[in-house]
Amino acid sequence: MKHPIVQTLLAGGTSTILHILLFLLLIFSFDMPTDIRQFGQPEVEIVQATVVDEDLILEEMARLQEAEEKKRAAEEERQQKLDEQLEKTQDELARKEQEFLDMQERAKLDAEQRKQEAELEQQRLKELEQQRIEQEEARKQAELERQQAEQAKQQAEAERKAAEEAKQKAEAERLAAEQAREEAEAKRKAEEEARRKAEEEAKRKAEEEAKLKAEEEAKRKAAEDEAKRKAEAERLAAEKSRAEAEEALQRQLDAEAEQRKQQRITGILDSYGLQIQQRITRYWTKPANAEAGLLVTLEVKLIPGGDIRSVRVIKSSGSEIFDRSAENAVYKAAPMPMPSDPDAAQKIINEGIEIYFKPE
Amino acid sequence: MALRLIRFLALMAMFFMPIQAFAVLKVEITGGSDGALPIAIVPFGSEGMKSPEDITSIIRNDLESSGRFAPLDNQDLVSRPSEQSQVNFADWRLLRSEGLVIGKISSQDGENYQVQFQLFDVYRGQQLAGKRYQVPASGLRALGHQIADVIYETLTGEKGIFSTRLAFVTQITAGDGKKWFALQISDADGANPRTVLQSTQPIMSPSWGPDGDQLAYVSFENGKTEVFVQQLQSGQRKSVASFEGINSAPAWSPDGKKLALTLSRNGNPEIYVMELANGDLIRVTNNAQAIDTEAVWSPDGSDIYFTSDRGGRPQIYKVSASGGRAERISFEGNYNASPDLSPDGSKLAMVHGANGGFYIAVQDLKTGAIHVLTDSGKAESPSFAPNGQMILYATEQKGSGILAAVSVDGRIHQRLSESGTVVREPAWSPLKK
Repeated sequence: MKHPIVQTLLAGGTSTILHILLFLLLIFSFDMPTDIRQFGQPEVEIVQATVVDEDLILEEMARLQEAEEKKRAAEEERQQKLDEQLEKTQDELARKEQEFLDMQERAKLDAEQRKQEAELEQQRLKELEQQRIEQEEARKQAELERQQAEQAKQQAEAERKAAEEAKQKAEAERLAAEQAREEAEAKRKAEEEARRKAEEEAKRKAEEEAKLKAEEEAKRKAAEDEAKRKAEAERLAAEKSRAEAEEALQRQLDAEAEQRKQQRITGILDSYGLQIQQRITRYWTKPANAEAGLLVTLEVKLIPGGDIRSVRVIKSSGSEIFDRSAENAVYKAAPMPMPSDPDAAQKIINEGIEIYFKPE
Repeated sequence: MALRLIRFLALMAMFFMPIQAFAVLKVEITGGSDGALPIAIVPFGSEGMKSPEDITSIIRNDLESSGRFAPLDNQDLVSRPSEQSQVNFADWRLLRSEGLVIGKISSQDGENYQVQFQLFDVYRGQQLAGKRYQVPASGLRALGHQIADVIYETLTGEKGIFSTRLAFVTQITAGDGKKWFALQISDADGANPRTVLQSTQPIMSPSWGPDGDQLAYVSFENGKTEVFVQQLQSGQRKSVASFEGINSAPAWSPDGKKLALTLSRNGNPEIYVMELANGDLIRVTNNAQAIDTEAVWSPDGSDIYFTSDRGGRPQIYKVSASGGRAERISFEGNYNASPDLSPDGSKLAMVHGANGGFYIAVQDLKTGAIHVLTDSGKAESPSFAPNGQMILYATEQKGSGILAAVSVDGRIHQRLSESGTVVREPAWSPLKK
């Protein structure tokens, strides 16, 4: 990036640079004349002096001359110095002017360069465009050529096909001729064969008729047998289904009887359960400290007379005392009454009684 | 793997088993009688000699008096076996007795006795308990109680209390017209009383130490109330509280290291706890407007229940044994006093005043419900048996003080002493260690 001042300078152009230069020149030119005017005055006074005494004058003149000499030497020295300084200033100015000119030159050169670069860019773009147009042109040309080639190819293909078809047609004609010849031959053979076949057919038909007749006779006989067998099977099936129906009815009757029996037993057992409950309750001495929540389950098996076969604690209450009181109640209640119904009694004996004891 | 297979098969079997296999007749029994358990107690065989104590009668009386057993009459006994080999269980089953007790007693020298007993379950033909003892003649009575305890515990599941003792105060008038007070101890059935202390001045408030070896009580023998602690074996005793004012109502802490006392040493009767080892006192109550007395300890020793009229009429209160704010416990009626706690701490026995009379009542501490157990109207000083099933108390019959006991459910009532002497302030001992 360029320094801001330089940038300003470049942007301002030549006029700004010129102003600055003029300003610099003014400063130098005002300084120098002031010093120069102060040097001229003593010379004029010396010319107007009057003579007073020769010796003195001489002396004075010598002195004056010496002073003059000195003064002049000093003046010369001073002049020389001023000349040197002036020269130096001029050199400086010249240098500065040169720099300005250089700068101007450079700016000009830069502008020139930028212009050239722009032109070059423009040229390059133009070339690119030209190139693109050329490429497009070339592509179009290629396409055109490709199309033309395609067309040529198609043309060639069409010609090839035409030739092929012509060839095929010739072949077909040849084959047709061949076929006609073969057909004629075949026709002849067929006629011969037909004649031979007709003879054979006549012979075969005669044989077949005889065979058919024999088969029909056999079939008729078989049908007669089948009908007989079928009639027998139907008779048997009817008999069987009648038997089955009878059996099903019997089964149903049995099931109903069994159901009635079970219902009867259930009814008997319900009231029997109450009897058992009352009897055991009478014999149960509940432990005095039996807490609510205790529950013992006993399985009681009886023998036919109602005596105890076994008492088993299925689920303990957790209290040995409570369990024992329940078991004892069962033992004390023995012999248990038994249902007079033999089926119900048998069921009791087979299955036993489950008895729960719990304090109220 | 095999186990899983078996389980699977068992499951399948359950599925396919006919349902009827489970349809056994089901009967539920809830009624039952609360009556006494029938038991056959066969008089012990004595091999021709005469026993100085009728052990069988002691056992029989103990079990019967508990109200929990109904021993068969001797005339109903089908046979008199004294050894297992002579027992025919079928005979006893017919009597529907739940237990059979047999035993025998023998002696070589008339001084020492061998006693054995067996308790059978007649339905299973099994022995439930059986023991053999050797005692001097003087120990036969105690042994009878001990056997009764074994039978009671085996058949009821509760501790027997027939070997425990009672302490009480009797008052008699001697031939010379002089009045005597005696601190006495008897067997739990009231029999075999013996005197521990005798005085012409009143004796009050006996309290058993938790080991059953010592008694605390109040004696006026020095012209003022004074609390003593007495060793029962040696008879040695010691005055532990003779402060200015009242010294009364001693109660042992469950660990036996402290006594709760009523003292008025600071002007008003308050409850104090005394450390027995050094006599240090902690004041537990502080209510100048009321009398606080009759302390008892909760079984865990953390609380003290006591009687106080701070609400105007005597009621039961509870306070921490280290002191603090008291909480009123009894609310029913306008007189409730003389608290005693059941050994499990669940029930409070007390004297409940109603209709101008005083009754023994039990309050369920969980629900607050109270249940009046007696009906004579002159009951006092309730004391729980160590198994929590009975409450001993004093009452009056024909103008004379007697001891009685009632079961906590109020079903069983017993009279433990005959009238003729005045008996008061009973206390039931702890179980023998």
